[in-house]
Amino acid sequence: MPEMVTLTIDGHEVSVPKGTTILEAAKSIGTEVPHYCYHPGMSSPAMCRLCLVEVEGAPKPMPGCVTTVMDGQVVHTQSEQALKNRRGVLEFYLVNHPLDCPICDMSGECNLQDYVHAEGREHGRGREPKRIFGRDDFGGDVLFYGDRCVMCTRCVRFMSEVEQDHRLTVVERGNRSVIDTFYEEGLDGTYWHGNIVDICPVGALVSKEFLHKARAWDLTHTPSVCTGCAQGCNIDLHTRDNLVQRVKPRENLDVNAWWICDYGRHGYEWMNRGDRLEAPVMRSAGASQAMAWGDALRALLAKADGAGPVKAIASAKSSNEDLGALKRLVDALGGGDIVYRSARADDEVPLKGFPTLARRTDLTPNATGADLVGASRVGDDDATGGLDAVSGHDGIVIVLNDDLSDQGEDFGANASLFVYMGTHASAGATHADFVLPISTHAEGEGSFTNLERRVQRFAKAMDAPGMARPAWLVLGALAAETGGGDAPRSAADAFAALGRSVSAFAGITWEDVGTRGALLNESVSVTGD
Amino acid sequence: MAISVKVMHRPEPETTSYLRAALSGMALTFKHMVNPTKVTQQYPEEMTHLSPRWRGTHVMEQHADGRPKCVACGLCPTVCPANCIRLVGGEDDQGNRYPIVYEIDEFRCIFCGMCQEVCPVEAIHVGRHFENAEYTRERFVYDLDRLMEQDHPSTLLWDPSDPSSE
Repeated sequence: MPEMVTLTIDGHEVSVPKGTTILEAAKSIGTEVPHYCYHPGMSSPAMCRLCLVEVEGAPKPMPGCVTTVMDGQVVHTQSEQALKNRRGVLEFYLVNHPLDCPICDMSGECNLQDYVHAEGREHGRGREPKRIFGRDDFGGDVLFYGDRCVMCTRCVRFMSEVEQDHRLTVVERGNRSVIDTFYEEGLDGTYWHGNIVDICPVGALVSKEFLHKARAWDLTHTPSVCTGCAQGCNIDLHTRDNLVQRVKPRENLDVNAWWICDYGRHGYEWMNRGDRLEAPVMRSAGASQAMAWGDALRALLAKADGAGPVKAIASAKSSNEDLGALKRLVDALGGGDIVYRSARADDEVPLKGFPTLARRTDLTPNATGADLVGASRVGDDDATGGLDAVSGHDGIVIVLNDDLSDQGEDFGANASLFVYMGTHASAGATHADFVLPISTHAEGEGSFTNLERRVQRFAKAMDAPGMARPAWLVLGALAAETGGGDAPRSAADAFAALGRSVSAFAGITWEDVGTRGALLNESVSVTGD
Repeated sequence: MAISVKVMHRPEPETTSYLRAALSGMALTFKHMVNPTKVTQQYPEEMTHLSPRWRGTHVMEQHADGRPKCVACGLCPTVCPANCIRLVGGEDDQGNRYPIVYEIDEFRCIFCGMCQEVCPVEAIHVGRHFENAEYTRERFVYDLDRLMEQDHPSTLLWDPSDPSSE
């Protein structure tokens, strides 16, 4: 138990551990002290001078981000003196700021905009011409608008302290100081630099990919989990017009803190892909017929009766619920092998300043979940091959969320029943008796299990096209019909059913998982190298 | 205040002559016959008067080189209560933010003029114009080129000598 210190902030008495800063203590009672340079994941240089608060007994205003609390201290963050300090500092920030909010991508989520609107002067008094830097390409995905910069140096500190690859620095001094790269080196070749766009409190660093794409206030934020690798970084999907517009990290100190890698940040285009399967299709005697879900599933069950042993291909991109429902269906149909294929990279890409975070070698989000339900990995490191045993199987073949991109048209030609559940049409599904459209990870609820066996939930960010449904809903209904029990009506039902059938998932509930995730009983610890 | 009842004394029909009233009425009629006042407007040969604050179909202002003044800030689609503006922003070859797509559905528009009021660069205006006739409904979705072609005057929601209302 750390030693506690009791102080008074704006008339509220608060007890915090010794060594806490005033800014953090104020945050714990819900008072946000405006700040730019302070970021909880990095050191505080106390150079933005915006978090100056009035401390009784101190001769001058103290920076809240570096001043640690003392017993009996009396702090005022909203007093006349504190507000006057901030109004003065904000006026200085606007001396050279171009006020180009209409064309700035940060507009709507900009701390300078918010603070000036809340506490700044109504009219500027500056009469001198503004200093102009223009725009600089920092390489990678980052554009730098020097005029908008408030010199908080969060980006410089991120590159030096967290990514630990010194690519940015402050050049010149005083009024002319500006963030710059070393000669023409830029940010190319670094794999975490997208985070400096997130931590920039103003519109100085903007993403090239997101440039002018959407306004901040138009975007809907949905909590989700990154599908780029087995780390399972917490992300927010920002959507507009039923399309993912960008990906932002979501704070979770147990997994990814405030950061995500650039692979995950830019690996969302597949969620926006069109040409989707939109209706269940049954093929018999060479003819294809689109039909309602109920009719398709009844026809499928009639054909599955006595069709022989099952071989199923699952996917490590499917949720725990999907995989659990597949497992129950396979067991109800008499049991059989479940295999999955997954891509692997040669090396991990670690974030040096946060050792438990890395882009992992396993490039799928849920290989752990697939292993736990008893599926085995086959094929190469680029997720191809390994399906020879399934391809010529003469019983039931079920393919879930694997697009069979490397398979020819003769895949499953001998199968007595071939069910293809996917998002897109595939040559490998030519012989499929049933082609069932399923929703993607962004279009439904579910959970993934990351490599330290932490189950994390993701929410529905987009509407699925046409009649596409979550795979757990379809497979759960089929499994309930063949094997008995209730069909899951929600992802929570499907997760509970998974807990009943797979012992590793027993004992934790959908609510336990929550927004922060929950570790399975036999978790594995993850460390950096 | 005390309440009182006012009793109106109306003329009795048996003892009243209406001749004088009829004559004064006819006098007015004959006066207009001799010296008529025009009330019928000879539209379309003669244009009707529109208030300077009449709000009609939109006009997009442009720079001298023909570029639209719009910077695709997204405030007009945000403020539009009828949701009739579609805007997709982008960057032109000189690095300026500009609207790749700017469409106003004039059928959905309720001509409130808030787009003009909110515009930070005085680009979009509602116009002093009311003659809109087309052969198809689609033609009422004005795209950027069409909006820049409009040559009718814009509405004076503001004083032209003080455009920023300072």
